[in-house]
Amino acid sequence: MGKTNLPKINEGVPSSVVHFGVLDKMLNVGRANSLWPLTFGIACCAIEMMATGCARFDMSRFGAEVFRPSPRQSDVMIVAGTITKKMMPGIKTLYDQMPEPKWVIALGNCAISGGPFAYDGQYSIILGADEFLPVDVYIPGCPPRPEALLQGIIELEHKLSGWQRWQNPQAKTVPSL
Amino acid sequence: MEPQFTEFLYRDSILWITAFALGGLAFALGPIALVYLLMPRQTRQLINKRDQYIECGMDPIGDSWIRYGIVFYLYALIFLAFAVDVLFLFPVAVAYNNAEFSSSYRDFIEIVLFVGILSLAVVYAWVKGVFKWERRTYQK
Repeated sequence: MGKTNLPKINEGVPSSVVHFGVLDKMLNVGRANSLWPLTFGIACCAIEMMATGCARFDMSRFGAEVFRPSPRQSDVMIVAGTITKKMMPGIKTLYDQMPEPKWVIALGNCAISGGPFAYDGQYSIILGADEFLPVDVYIPGCPPRPEALLQGIIELEHKLSGWQRWQNPQAKTVPSL
Repeated sequence: MEPQFTEFLYRDSILWITAFALGGLAFALGPIALVYLLMPRQTRQLINKRDQYIECGMDPIGDSWIRYGIVFYLYALIFLAFAVDVLFLFPVAVAYNNAEFSSSYRDFIEIVLFVGILSLAVVYAWVKGVFKWERRTYQK
């Protein structure tokens, strides 16, 4: 497995030559409000991803409906489903071709840990996207419901910008990132 | 007032043109410079496939520099004959409503001659067998 080249999970976005604190925050809020996912479904979780993009669950409320057919235009890769060993090089290539800043969401149990495929003698499935990708958000479920994917996107928004779409009603104070 | 040729007459104009040219350059190059300063300096890589042309994740098979059948370019050449036809018939069509032109047979015959001569290009291609759709091999 290609663990030698694995970027660190919590490694930040590669920095630019010039930094402006306020501008960077504004850019990040802009990015959080327009996460463009890569059109990339590799198993049954992709059906839920399609449902999330359609009118009933309406991902576009969160600016994330613009599924791009090219990794060069994408911000977030939603690893939607079971990763076979044959598919892994393609996923790596797509990740490489995505421009910075880029994030990865592991959607469903297969992408988290192999799900039902984690058993002795199993020879064809990668047990989790984080074996070779720096995953930012994990969304459990088999498959997760569209609401879960929406929640994952909201979590990613919060993670990348520190900006919250809604205040947590149960928290006394807003947790600082 | 008489122009004073000893003075540099168009100084103001040249200053304006220079300013506008510099402004245009700044508009063209400024965003590139800004983006260069603000962009992330590197792209995180797993297997260094960032520059692969194909964007579907699969490795491309073979080269894109292959030999194509060039049958179709002959049709493109014949199109030139029709294009010239149309190009010169537009002014004729515009002027032909005039009673002066439409009253005489001489103009009509001239147009027929013109179109006929241009049509010879198509006839020539026809005789040469261009309209047969087949792969051509040219041998020396």
